[in-house]
Amino acid sequence: MKRVQAGLKLVFARLGMYLAILGPGLITASADNDAPGIATYSMAGSTYGYRFLWLLLVITVGEVVVQETAGRMGAVTGKGTADLIRERFGVKVTAFAMLCLLLANLGTTVAQFAGVAAATELFGLSRYITVPLAAALVGFVVLRGSYEHVEKVLLVLCLSALSYVISAFMIKPPWGEVLRQAVVPSIQFDTNFILAVLATIGTTITPWGIIYMQASVADKGVDLQKYRLTRMDVTVGAVWGNVVSAFIIICTAATLYVVGISVETAEQAAMALEPLAGVGARYLFAIGLLGASLLAASVLPLSTSYAVCEAFGWERGLNQRPRDAAVFYGLYIGIIVLSVLTVLIPGIPLFPLMWLSQSMNAILLPVLLVLVIKLVNDRRIMGEWVNSRFQNIFSWALAIIILLITVVLFISPLLGMQAPG
Amino acid sequence: MLYLSQLQGKQVWDAWSEPLGKFQDVLVGNVDQPFPPVRAIAMETPDGAERLIPASQLSGLFPSILLKVPGEEVQPYTPKGDELRLVDRVLDRQIVDIDGRRVVRVNDVQLARLRDQFCITGVDVGGQGLLRRLGLEPMAQAVASRLKRRLPAQVIPWEDVAPVQDTDPLRLRISRDKISQLPPADIAAILNDLDRRTGEALARGLDNETLADMLEESPADVQVNILSQLPPERAADILEEMDPDEAADLLADLPPQTTEHLLDLMEDEDAEDVRALLAYPEDTAGGIMTTEFAYVPSGLTVREALEYLRNSEDASDDEVMYYVYVLDSADVLQGVISLRDLVMAPPDKPIEELIETDPVVVYPLTSQNEAAYLIAKYNLLAIPVVEEENGVMLGIVTVDDALDAVLPTAWKKRLPRFF
Repeated sequence: MKRVQAGLKLVFARLGMYLAILGPGLITASADNDAPGIATYSMAGSTYGYRFLWLLLVITVGEVVVQETAGRMGAVTGKGTADLIRERFGVKVTAFAMLCLLLANLGTTVAQFAGVAAATELFGLSRYITVPLAAALVGFVVLRGSYEHVEKVLLVLCLSALSYVISAFMIKPPWGEVLRQAVVPSIQFDTNFILAVLATIGTTITPWGIIYMQASVADKGVDLQKYRLTRMDVTVGAVWGNVVSAFIIICTAATLYVVGISVETAEQAAMALEPLAGVGARYLFAIGLLGASLLAASVLPLSTSYAVCEAFGWERGLNQRPRDAAVFYGLYIGIIVLSVLTVLIPGIPLFPLMWLSQSMNAILLPVLLVLVIKLVNDRRIMGEWVNSRFQNIFSWALAIIILLITVVLFISPLLGMQAPG
Repeated sequence: MLYLSQLQGKQVWDAWSEPLGKFQDVLVGNVDQPFPPVRAIAMETPDGAERLIPASQLSGLFPSILLKVPGEEVQPYTPKGDELRLVDRVLDRQIVDIDGRRVVRVNDVQLARLRDQFCITGVDVGGQGLLRRLGLEPMAQAVASRLKRRLPAQVIPWEDVAPVQDTDPLRLRISRDKISQLPPADIAAILNDLDRRTGEALARGLDNETLADMLEESPADVQVNILSQLPPERAADILEEMDPDEAADLLADLPPQTTEHLLDLMEDEDAEDVRALLAYPEDTAGGIMTTEFAYVPSGLTVREALEYLRNSEDASDDEVMYYVYVLDSADVLQGVISLRDLVMAPPDKPIEELIETDPVVVYPLTSQNEAAYLIAKYNLLAIPVVEEENGVMLGIVTVDDALDAVLPTAWKKRLPRFF
């Protein structure tokens, strides 16, 4: 009897430990399916059918490797990414890396507010009212420090991304074909296809995902002996996020690609949920989009200005008064204001704005990626926790492939590679 | 003024103007002094090896690094083991600015020639240092002078600098001694701004009293992290040092077994107070009250009462002692008098004639908002908490703890995780 009790106790202790450590991975992974994420996968699925599924498979491995690296650096050093970059590479490299981070995150924040605009317009509300309102709301909630309560509400809203999974099973796509496309690579050489590939990479493996992952693991203070649990969290999170992404592609491919609609607006994207929700599809889609946009819009500008201030040693954090941390608050407000203004430019197409910002993300990613690879292989920083050979090969391959795709993208107009339609 | 960044990557020349190698680092000694002297410079020879040149053979550092002797006569410097490498360990690192009580990043290190040797004078943590590192200083300088302004310089004298990212225990101790002189709230803020590992290493080395004071000023998650890093006996000692209400709050955030274990290790008297407090929910008067308050038995004169207080352990534990409470033999609250009125009263007057006999009280399960409201309404500095059935006095809620309930302190505004 005593034995059973002790055994049970152990099981519960283990379970509690797992639950306590699970977290950052799942949050970053849910953020994969933020507004630009949904836009990108919808665009990819509706334009190229199931052809992006194999890419997603590769990206999933890439995300696991990159996020695990970031988590490991946080666990071993207890420091943020920007902090390590500054200490190891000095001011010039740091300034360049932070500029790239700022650009990438500004683009993604613009995409989040574009998501707000697209979602609320599905409800028939003008973006000129809702977007400034959303910005004020985000700023108010975060600066007041009540983000913690709101986070849960927003995460629940994000669960509506699950409706893609249900929807996909109701549509009954040709599963054999889906599986075949998931393992057989297919490539197309035109500018739009390349941009779409970059966007898919850039919305899944993000600069801010790296920074956020490392920061949250560092701040939690993971015991290295229990590091396996963090690794599991990261892996499960990345795989889970990409399963949902795959279902977005499957849904849009099975409903829109087959009838020749290439998504250019939120109305069209919402049609992928019609088999599940009928006329309510646009509202279901809008709610999910809104939740994801607001969640990311709350975290993203904040983590960006935190990282920049960390790198340059300026006062930072919400426990500082604005007078003491002028740069921190200035950057934070600046990013939000600039994003809102961009979205409010009359006639700017929201959907392309959302996914094209992710292509830019991918183009800027190698800068951070190369620095991270160098840091994680530095024995003075990581000790015995440096990368394994596989991790190195994969990380370098990822950085180089993105660079090559970028080069191809920029020379493609010269080669006369035009979009077929 | 000479800056470390101006030396980086420069050629080192010997007395015959022959290039010897590339400058790499500066080694300084006696870092606990206000102006630590440069002991040697490190340079990279053309074949990639590192070579240390003693400061005594340096003729000048700026505008170019020049030796007094020809290359072949340079005596190599043998490190004594206590040198601090500036580029490697100080530049770009976080340090604590003792005077400004904050964590800053070193953008540059200022060097100067003092009599016949070079030494550190301060560290540049301002924008000018950043611009210099980016190679933009002359341009910014030109713009600034056009605008008839001066670039803001922020150089902290070395005396006020506490390097913290260091593996050398001796240097870390010096830094810790400097930091522990600061007010506990500032120590808490500094440790919170540092990266986790460094912050916890510093905290572990503080003495029990400083650490207890600092923990009281820290957010809950930091408290839990630091306490769980300590050996249980030490953690228990620190909990004894803390005010019972703060200790109870902290223990409430720990896993139940740990709480029990720590309570068992604490001295019985302290543990009992904390246990009593742990029984009340956190958002009630019982949850935020402290059990340490000054009281006197009834039937004393003013002189006797003051004498009693001087010898009373409970009174000496009372953090602020705004009021003195009069209790009967069963600890039932009879009345209250402010310390001011007690001190100003004629010594022979019976205390019963002075006390307010029907004070405003709260019960342990009164909400903390209600307690805060009563304190504000009656302009009190503390409000007594009594047992509802029999009037036995349990503790007091002070105005600062009550205010925390209504106006969360800056710490509580933290987002989850980093930001």
